[in-house]
Amino acid sequence: MRSEMETMITTEGLTRTFGSTIAVDHVSLSVQKGELYGLLGPNGSGKTTMIRMLTGQIRPTGGSARVLGLDPDREPVGVRALIGIIPEQETPPSFLTSEEYLHFVGSVRNIPDIRQQADWWFEFLEFSDKRDVLCKDLSRGTRQKLMFSQAFLHNPGLALIDEPLINFDPVMQEKVKGYLSDYVGKGGTVFISTHILEIAEEICTSFAILHQGQLIHTGTVRELRERDRHLNEFFLSLVRTRTHV
Amino acid sequence: MFELFVSMVKEEWRLHATIFGSASFALFPVLIFAIAFMGSFLLPLFRTVIPSGTLATLAFALFALLGLMVGAFGLLGKEVMNRRFGQVSLIAYSSRSLPISERHIFSTFIIKDVVYYFFLWILPFIIGFGVASPFIGVSPATPFLLALTLSLSFLTGLSFAFFFSTLYAWSKWLLAAAAIVLLIGGAAAYGAGYQDPASLYPPLRLFENFTVSWLVFSLLLVLVPFAISIAAFTTEYHDAKKRFPDKFSPLEMHLKNFRSPALTAKDLIDLSRSGAGVGQTIFSFLLPLGLIWLFLSLLSALIPGPGVFLVFSLLTGVVASTMYTWLTEFDTFSTYAFLPLDAGTLMRSKVTTFSVLQAIPAAFLALVALGSGQLLYLIPGLVLCLGISFYALAIITWLAGLSPNVLIYNPRVLGLFFIALGPVLLVLITLSFIDPLWAFSALLLAVPVLFLLPRSYRKWTSWEHTTY
Repeated sequence: MRSEMETMITTEGLTRTFGSTIAVDHVSLSVQKGELYGLLGPNGSGKTTMIRMLTGQIRPTGGSARVLGLDPDREPVGVRALIGIIPEQETPPSFLTSEEYLHFVGSVRNIPDIRQQADWWFEFLEFSDKRDVLCKDLSRGTRQKLMFSQAFLHNPGLALIDEPLINFDPVMQEKVKGYLSDYVGKGGTVFISTHILEIAEEICTSFAILHQGQLIHTGTVRELRERDRHLNEFFLSLVRTRTHV
Repeated sequence: MFELFVSMVKEEWRLHATIFGSASFALFPVLIFAIAFMGSFLLPLFRTVIPSGTLATLAFALFALLGLMVGAFGLLGKEVMNRRFGQVSLIAYSSRSLPISERHIFSTFIIKDVVYYFFLWILPFIIGFGVASPFIGVSPATPFLLALTLSLSFLTGLSFAFFFSTLYAWSKWLLAAAAIVLLIGGAAAYGAGYQDPASLYPPLRLFENFTVSWLVFSLLLVLVPFAISIAAFTTEYHDAKKRFPDKFSPLEMHLKNFRSPALTAKDLIDLSRSGAGVGQTIFSFLLPLGLIWLFLSLLSALIPGPGVFLVFSLLTGVVASTMYTWLTEFDTFSTYAFLPLDAGTLMRSKVTTFSVLQAIPAAFLALVALGSGQLLYLIPGLVLCLGISFYALAIITWLAGLSPNVLIYNPRVLGLFFIALGPVLLVLITLSFIDPLWAFSALLLAVPVLFLLPRSYRKWTSWEHTTY
């Protein structure tokens, strides 16, 4: 039972097809509490599809998944109530201002001290001057700040993030990486999908590599370092070998 | 640049094919042809109750309106597509990445709209009418004259859409001033004895009396607004408001007794800030109902007693049911997919907001009843209007969930919608003609509404929202 409580995500043979295309092919993995887990892979390898299945946005066509003990296929709303999600495409509502949007999310998630929480995020991610700007008029970087804020507003125990830093400038990237490390240090769990390997190597504790929908490797960053290898070179050698095969 | 034009035409086609499906959209001109062909055979029948001039006025008004709508969609297309499909980039907005001026892109965009919609709408309509014309006693020259004059009417609508948007881009006060000038001009012409619309609208005048001077007037009416729009084109919205005070929290507080106050508050803010609340009320509600009222007034000699008002009430209900599409045009389910919400909850909140918006048709109908001396029949009229509006809402939520703006163009969905709505409308019209008290039978529509709505919520909650 204890082991069940510590496991935040498990998948068994998780599969998703779109017509004749197999986007995710029998993937089995598990993510433990306190991990910063990176799902790595080239474009089109199935990373976003994995996240969408784990958050109950789309259904698996085979296999199963549990997120915080819940089946996202059967209880998608229950899963999304417990976790924080940052989707790959930032689509906050066009005609709410960024402040109104955070208040909207606060209402939907029943966050009691939403004003204070929102204020903290505006300050922390340095976009207080955009509070009264409509979401449709925000730059992509500011939209990502907004999406980052909404995902952590309710202090979730688990966050699933699709390409977490892609629109941030280097200063903001440092700040967000620091936040994620602190968050994990305090017992939170983060599952990120990315193809920026330098970031993954810097912040992830464990990782999995997806290629053409199949899981081709799981391991920890520490193991790699002990073998004096870098994630970038390791990833490329694996993916190239598979591609040539 | 011909390549740019070809690319824009391809883009427009793919845009529509993405929304409606390639096969369905390819059949669209065939559908227009069929409607025009079959509708032409009804012309002799219509002529027995409606003067030919009025019929022509309606057709020209319809094509001008089509031009206005095409122009408006062209200019708002990016916003609309972004709402439906997420990040969308169109060639018309690519002057930053291509070595072509914005003015050149805009000019090509106008030419593309003209050519594309001529082949999509106007030509099939004219061919349909032309093929039917030998059988209905219309002279062989009429289809050719119609091809020219209806095209000019369409182009007039299109050119004014671009003209008004250019004015708006410079200043909304400039747009308001232009609207006031047009209204004053119209009123002055009316006061001076020009009550016949044909005498004020060159393409229609040209159709009724072909002369070179009316041809020149018609062309000027198209070319001058186009030329001004291109010359004054700007992508900078000079007085567009960029910052807004927090309206969400106070509004949510006011709506605290609602089931989902946050979602309803968001819907109302969307309507208010997008301009859709006012715009849709005018263009999707008042304008079509004005045309319907005009049409029904022409039939008043044939319809007994309060029949015209009761039929109008029913049709107001049908038009009012489209308010659900106003609420679902702003975002896709993907906007909410990472929140603890399901499609059913969203639909329920949109139905709540829809119910609030039904105050508009109710107030409108009260004004019409007052103005037409039919106050005695206001209550039966309201029952018919709201009954059919909620019934149509229940059908469309069942058939199209949160995507009525897209799925209503699916032939199967549209067909089922008409099959479910048509017989009910017919029965209610017949009953209302027998006795206005029978209008209260529309209360029975509560049964299918209460049956369908919860099932729609469940159906679309279990549906996978992969694309829209």
